[in-house]
Amino acid sequence: MFGRVKDAMADATETLRRAFTGLKVTQVTPEPFLSKSHGSVALAVEQRPGLEPPVTMRREMSLLKEAVQGQTLQPFPCHLMQEAGWAKWGAEAEVLHMTPLEKGRAARITVPPLPRKARVLGRVEPPLRPSVRRIADPVQAPAARRLDPDLGEGCAVEGQEAMLSLAVPIRAEDIQRLPKGLWMRYSLQMVRGTGENVRNLEVMGLFRLPRKGVADLRHDPAQGRILVRLEAAAIKSPRAPFILARRKDDGTLLSCFVEDP
Amino acid sequence: MAEPIKLAYFMAVKEGASYLGGLLVTDTSGIPLDFRYTEPITPTRLQSILYGKSLEPHLKEEVIQKTLLKELKTAPDLFIISVTELAGGWSGDAKYPVLAVQKSQESPLAKVGETFRAGPRELLLQLTDGSAPLRVVFAASVDAITQEQAVLKLLEAGYHMDLVEPMERVAAALQSLVVKDS
Repeated sequence: MFGRVKDAMADATETLRRAFTGLKVTQVTPEPFLSKSHGSVALAVEQRPGLEPPVTMRREMSLLKEAVQGQTLQPFPCHLMQEAGWAKWGAEAEVLHMTPLEKGRAARITVPPLPRKARVLGRVEPPLRPSVRRIADPVQAPAARRLDPDLGEGCAVEGQEAMLSLAVPIRAEDIQRLPKGLWMRYSLQMVRGTGENVRNLEVMGLFRLPRKGVADLRHDPAQGRILVRLEAAAIKSPRAPFILARRKDDGTLLSCFVEDP
Repeated sequence: MAEPIKLAYFMAVKEGASYLGGLLVTDTSGIPLDFRYTEPITPTRLQSILYGKSLEPHLKEEVIQKTLLKELKTAPDLFIISVTELAGGWSGDAKYPVLAVQKSQESPLAKVGETFRAGPRELLLQLTDGSAPLRVVFAASVDAITQEQAVLKLLEAGYHMDLVEPMERVAAALQSLVVKDS
């Protein structure tokens, strides 16, 4: 059994081999596969009307409201025309009888005068010129105003009273620079004026003060000066040497004016 | 007898929108002989615009100073103004030697009366023993000879008084007047 099948398979194989032997083989270059997408047209739904029933339309005929009267053709008139002039010209001459002038039948004719100036027609009229009008009211000049930038003069005020209210510092003179004789004279006057022993006095300074008008006096030991408050009388008062001293035993301040020689 | 020396101290200040000035004349002891001040001058807005930066110098030098000097009965020997005013280019009246005095921090000079010239318009002047010398600055209009004469007068006055102090008094007086007016 298997032998028959095997023979049948061999026969079939041989048959196929013979059938395809000698076939021309053509090598075809395969085209690249290109995927082409084709868009599909969307299905459209077309609406179609169905069968329509016959419609009966009612129409009215309008009558002519304005009648037009037509004219009938008129018959063309014919006239018989004669022309005898040419015939007379060539055939006969017409005799003109001149009426002789009769007296009293003449009429006087007045000849109208010729116009003195020929009238020109068709002249182009000149264009109208604009009329010049004068404005009676001229533009007014602006009014100039003067703002004086001058600062003027200040007003001076006498202020001596205000100045005298302030303390005036008076510096002590250097006693060492005074002539010795003069200082001895001053010392003597100081002893007489204060009644104090000269050995018990320590001189604080010699000042030049107005004889009058000293309202207040304070000693400024730190700067070796005195502060005086003056009155108006002090301005014209003569200056005089003023000695300020301190008592050594109790520290009391003593002062006196001394006389210049 | 020589005429006593008179020192004029001038100061102009600005208080708010107003300007006022004072002139104090003292003797060599510092005692006030005369003091005058001007009423406050308030420039208008238009004047401020028209004068611009020259407003203040003009007011101080031309208006206030001249008004006060006109009122003086006797001419001062020295016209003393503040150092600040002088540094600002003072160009006021040159009839009197214009100068400024200021306390210095310099070492004392060898002796009283000695000067050390720091510049053509500036010098140090020793007034008292042991103290710092006084700085003196002259205005540009003061020549060398006038400077020398002014130094002698300063020496004489400085022996009796503090030459710087009266300017403080003028400032204090002006301040009190402003407060009184307001």
